[in-house]
Amino acid sequence: MHTPSLDVQLQLTLRSPDRSFELDVDFTATAQRTSLIGPSGSGKSTVLQAIAGLLPSVRGRVRVGDQTLLDSSLGIHLPARERQVGVVFQDYALFPHMTVEQNLQFGLRRLGQRMTAEQARRVDALIEQFDLVSLRSGLPRNLSGGQRQRVALARALATEPRLLLLDEPLSALDSPLRKRLRRELAEMLERVNVPALLVTHDPQDVEALAQEVICIDDGRIVDCDLSPRPFAG
Amino acid sequence: MKISQRLRSVALVATLWVGSAACHAQELVVSAAASLTNAFQAAGKAFEQARPGAKVTFNFAASGPLLAQIQQGAPVDVFASADQETMNRAANANLIAPATRVDFAANTLVLIVPAASTQAPKQLSDLTNPLFQRVSTGTPATVPVGRYTMEAIDKAGLTASLQSRWIYGESVRQVLNYVARGEVDAGFVYRTDALIEPEKTRIVLTIPTTTPVTYPIAQIASSKHAALAGEFMAFVRSAPGQEILQRYGFSKP
Amino acid sequence: MPTLFVPLWLTLKVALLATLIASTVGVALGWWLARRPFPGRSIVDSLLMLPMVLPPTVIGYYLIVLIGRNGIFGQYLDRWFGINLIFTWQGAVIAASVVSLPLVYKGARAAFEEVDGRFANAARTLGAGELEVFLRVSLPLAIRGIAAGVMLAFARAMGEFGATLMIAGNLPGKTQTLSIAVYEAVQAGNDNQALWLTLVISSVCIGVLVASGRLLQARH
Repeated sequence: MHTPSLDVQLQLTLRSPDRSFELDVDFTATAQRTSLIGPSGSGKSTVLQAIAGLLPSVRGRVRVGDQTLLDSSLGIHLPARERQVGVVFQDYALFPHMTVEQNLQFGLRRLGQRMTAEQARRVDALIEQFDLVSLRSGLPRNLSGGQRQRVALARALATEPRLLLLDEPLSALDSPLRKRLRRELAEMLERVNVPALLVTHDPQDVEALAQEVICIDDGRIVDCDLSPRPFAG
Repeated sequence: MKISQRLRSVALVATLWVGSAACHAQELVVSAAASLTNAFQAAGKAFEQARPGAKVTFNFAASGPLLAQIQQGAPVDVFASADQETMNRAANANLIAPATRVDFAANTLVLIVPAASTQAPKQLSDLTNPLFQRVSTGTPATVPVGRYTMEAIDKAGLTASLQSRWIYGESVRQVLNYVARGEVDAGFVYRTDALIEPEKTRIVLTIPTTTPVTYPIAQIASSKHAALAGEFMAFVRSAPGQEILQRYGFSKP
Repeated sequence: MPTLFVPLWLTLKVALLATLIASTVGVALGWWLARRPFPGRSIVDSLLMLPMVLPPTVIGYYLIVLIGRNGIFGQYLDRWFGINLIFTWQGAVIAASVVSLPLVYKGARAAFEEVDGRFANAARTLGAGELEVFLRVSLPLAIRGIAAGVMLAFARAMGEFGATLMIAGNLPGKTQTLSIAVYEAVQAGNDNQALWLTLVISSVCIGVLVASGRLLQARH
């Protein structure tokens, strides 16, 4: 199975009152599941946001397979809504005023439109796949951490994205929960047929979830000391 | 600080304090109809010059609201209204010292239009022309010029046809302002008011009124400065006072 | 008491319309200024808050300069369309809208700023355009704070006096709103009338304050 490569070159300067942060990264990810790891403040979340199209003033190139999402030299800068990149946010960012089912439907149904039968079927399939049947009419605030993780992943996959980005999905959780959810996430990701980039600061996440690892520090790609865990297939 | 310096500053403060108290005894508060604004301000200055130590504070508004203030207990010494009716109401409410009431000036009701206007009514009934969509006068309930106007309109049989066109001002000066700004097509003011804005307004008609436009003045019963009040009222009726009033367009009562 | 209904009806008409205008503009501006800093943002913010700080008579004067018959815009309205806003209830609506706008804007901007930006970003990655992000995510999440601002704006529009008097005048049945009617009644020595009118306005305003307080509390 050919995995489309993720080709990223980004230059960005973020200025805040006390400091100025320069991002200058250049990497290519070819594995099905790649991890971008770095300490806090290294710019990894910024890279993720730039790939997702959430940063307006970034320069460089982002390609997923043969699709160009960003190319400053050619004047291409697709807005987030056109990039078909699914994102699982830190804290999951589930819409608090919508049910689980409505959260999943959000990406499929545009304003003023009705869902097609096929889209409805897709939502049902996701609810089944991610074991959310009994929760479909519930609100996010009544869900456990693990349940929210499943909803967030299902929602990001609902639009059949070409790339999945996960922004430190486990860092907001406390330790015992994190272990369990890491396992669950690993299992879910294995069943998912979309290339994924996972951003984290935790080497254990890398061990459990990634086939390839890229290291970042202070806005630049650096050599890694970790060796990726070998996967079969 | 040396003792002599300290004593001096104490003495200075004491003098100022006593002095201001004494000045307070010579202060007069006069509530006067809006149309008297310019004339009375000049008269006030002349009075203060002729009577050193006296200080006159004026309160100008439409006669009706002035009466309401006095009824509510405003510390007024002298009241000058633009019609007999308001003064009658004051008298009936026992607010004035009846013996002090006297007429001191007279005025004329005129119709004015904005200076830039090309339409000049030649008679009152010309106002029914559709060109005059907005005609201003004072609120009849509280402003004397409104009552004089309605009297004249009633007499000319135009009440019904002009009913929807009235724009009421809170005082005759507001009516003047509306015309000066061009917000209305015509307005009823006193001749003395029209003379205040000669560039922005034009007198087109003089309106004879059934009730003569005369101005009474009286001392407020509860005034604590009866003597000074009497002096001011006498001044207003004296030759220098009348000369000032006539300079602004008022005539003898 | 029948003379209560005319100013009451007029006041409600003016206040409701003014609140509608102020809310539409205020929510849009509150959202725009809550998004991200841009050069001049604080100046725009100050201008929008100005009517809340300026004396109503000053606002009235500015409005006269703008929409009076010989005003900057008013002269064209008069010359080209024969429209004159002075002494009309529409003019009263404009005056009331101007003074209520800061209340909606402030409430809306604060409400939008409180909404976590990640929700908007999530919506964007799920294919939503900016208008859709606003209507389906930002607005529903900010609605409580906005509603509280709108209620305060309504109370303010109900009570607007100084600027309204200068723009719309005091024309019974046409522009004499409740607060102007109180003024008139006091001036004419009509205490009974003044008292009744005051009670009506006070009850409405107290009601609005209680309701909007509850809305703001219920969020937490």
